[in-house]
Amino acid sequence: MKPRAITGLGITSALGTGSTETLAALAAPSSPATATARTPIASFDASSYEDPPIVEVPGFDPTKYLGDKGLRTLDRLTKLLVVAARLSLHDAGLKKDGQWAALAPERVGVCCSNAYGSLEAITELDRVAVLEDARYINPAKFPNTVSNSASGYVSIWEDLRALNVSVSDGNCGALDAIACADIFLETGRAEAILTGGGEAMSEALFLAFDKLRVLGTNGTGARIGEGAAFLVLEPLELAKARGAKVLATITGYGTSFIAPKDDVTLLFSSSEALERAIKNALDDAGITASDVDLVVSGVSGIARFDDEERTAIGKVLGSSVPVTAPKQVFGETLGAGGALGMAAALACLDGSAPACLVSGSAPAKVDTVLVTSVGYYGNASAVVVTRGS
Amino acid sequence: MRVFITGVGVISSIGLGKDAFWKALAEGKSGISPVEAFDTSNLGRSNAGEVKAFHPRDHLSAAEVRRMGRCSQMALAAARMAITDAALPEGALSGPRASVVLGTTMGEAGVLEDLDHAWIAKGLPGVRRAWIPKYGSTLLPIHVARAIGAEGSVLTLPAACAAGNYAIGLACDLIRAGKADVIVTGAAEMLQELQYSGFVRLAAMAPTKCQPFDLNRQGLILGEGAGILVVESEAHAVRRNARVLAEVGGHGMTCDAYHITRPHPEAAGSIGAMRQAIERSGLQPDAVDFVNAHGTGTKHNDAAESKVMRDVFGDRKVPISSMKSMLGHCMGAASALEAIGCLMTLETGIYPPTIGYETPDPECDVDVVANEARKGKADIVLNNSLAFGGYNSVTCLARPGKLPAPKETTA
Repeated sequence: MKPRAITGLGITSALGTGSTETLAALAAPSSPATATARTPIASFDASSYEDPPIVEVPGFDPTKYLGDKGLRTLDRLTKLLVVAARLSLHDAGLKKDGQWAALAPERVGVCCSNAYGSLEAITELDRVAVLEDARYINPAKFPNTVSNSASGYVSIWEDLRALNVSVSDGNCGALDAIACADIFLETGRAEAILTGGGEAMSEALFLAFDKLRVLGTNGTGARIGEGAAFLVLEPLELAKARGAKVLATITGYGTSFIAPKDDVTLLFSSSEALERAIKNALDDAGITASDVDLVVSGVSGIARFDDEERTAIGKVLGSSVPVTAPKQVFGETLGAGGALGMAAALACLDGSAPACLVSGSAPAKVDTVLVTSVGYYGNASAVVVTRGS
Repeated sequence: MRVFITGVGVISSIGLGKDAFWKALAEGKSGISPVEAFDTSNLGRSNAGEVKAFHPRDHLSAAEVRRMGRCSQMALAAARMAITDAALPEGALSGPRASVVLGTTMGEAGVLEDLDHAWIAKGLPGVRRAWIPKYGSTLLPIHVARAIGAEGSVLTLPAACAAGNYAIGLACDLIRAGKADVIVTGAAEMLQELQYSGFVRLAAMAPTKCQPFDLNRQGLILGEGAGILVVESEAHAVRRNARVLAEVGGHGMTCDAYHITRPHPEAAGSIGAMRQAIERSGLQPDAVDFVNAHGTGTKHNDAAESKVMRDVFGDRKVPISSMKSMLGHCMGAASALEAIGCLMTLETGIYPPTIGYETPDPECDVDVVANEARKGKADIVLNNSLAFGGYNSVTCLARPGKLPAPKETTA
């Protein structure tokens, strides 16, 4: 792909709200896992679960960023995404103190990944339908049940009118959103695109993964997480021309799908899909395996997927390549996963020591990072991001 | 690079398969009937464009039926029809140069309903573990890709009531960018109780019928179905000597950034999307012969859309019609089904009617193809869609050979 500048970053995550906070926490020498504050579960009544293996955005207070008007009927997913979007626009210098400072709203778009929609809203209305009657569901809450609702609110709150494209591809979605944004920039549909994703914690999400018996116990293994992150992507030359600071440059993307063998659930992990995705991404970037200084993986603590991911990385890039697993800190944030992986890559490109290293040793220099993700149904995606411009 | 549509498949309330679907559309046959899938007796509304003639086992294996929800079942059934229609040989969709890009509003809403209702009524032990991985809109293209052997991008675009157009648009962009040779695209949606109740509670649903552009229109009627299209690069289509149904021209996308459910009163975003579709086709507005309206039958939508027509086409009254008068609003699947109707218009020179049109509305001063199909020039048509979230999307479809050579895009 043509080089796409990352000119801004906005995050709501387990490490806090705001890119500076998150990157600083990732760079902290102490283990980020212990740095995550243990706060009571805020997104649902968790009193009947003992120490559930979930990760929330601690003390998330959208009013601090959005004011207190118009938030009453918004769900958690929307608030996480809108805050991340607002922060990214300001970080990119497209807005200043809430006002447009560069580009026009007609030329700025959104490409947003999410895996499961607002389970919070759907479950709340389903509860009314089952326990009372469907005719009593709250019409003000109904719009939140629609899959692209949160992404639509990002455009509404931030006045982004170029285009808004929602993407759903499980935990690969945010990397795929980058590929979509690349094409939309290539075809001149926008000059800047907020690209990323979000997922919100809810009781239903936690229970679904818990019931599938993939979450960890006693502080080890996978935790389901939440959060949102947007990268502001612009064509590199245009970004330079407007004098934007360039945090890093995306130069390659690859994806692949291998049909699931399992005939019942379709849950399927294959190293082959990621091997191909990585090779495609390296080809797309015009680099070779030896150019990759660091891999930010999607390793989450679910062994059957982690094993295949690490096998694929080892096969293509060699066994000594350093690999990190930021989901140790963020949890498995699904639709947001690839975007938070990109944030972790930015921290390392910015000079921080790689956090959550799961193999290899910390490299002396990090100029090129590969971000990977393995989906649950045979799909995999990878993105190459390089230092500066 | 030109992009061609070479095959289509349809699951709809007015017929299965392209031929039955088109015959019913041209005859003005309504697919609206009382809902059977769930109890509507307390809701004050009971009609929908429910697909009653779809028997999954006619199209899918027993194992396929077991492992997928209704939405994926309809998507795969329509995909198989489209591939047969495209006369693609076995294996032609295998490998990394074939992709699947589908749109939907809610995807497997029925699976989630089953899980949620079991949990709420019986508690967690009542939830069937094997059902959990069946939920997620991402599964639609996974099921299709697995069945046909595609190994490229496998993407879902949840773009609500414009999802079909978004999927077709991205699929064509992927082909033009050289990322794929052939893509199975389109959209699927199933009727589901919570969604139905929600539209009732929003006071958006008409009592019995959908009357787009009529003065006395009372709202939308929901529907369901799947519309799937095979799109190919010109080189791929020529290489295999494919029959070309239509060429896909420009695709316009904007966001209102105004309100989550209502279109912008000045329709600026929607106007912009339609202008983009025309300009990106290398055309002027005077080249457009027919517009397939989003035409939901709500006060706001049809008035906004009429503004778009006046703004884009000026005094020239381009014929416009809404298939939703017959199909109901099939949400995510709507614009995919309607794209298929559009290419049949290109093939036959027949504009399908807007049925139930009785009283002109001064606010909708457009040339509605009222009640009876009309013959007319059909070289270039536009498929208009507006969606929840302020998403606007317009696709230009053309009779083969009627579009100027595409310009090379620049970043």
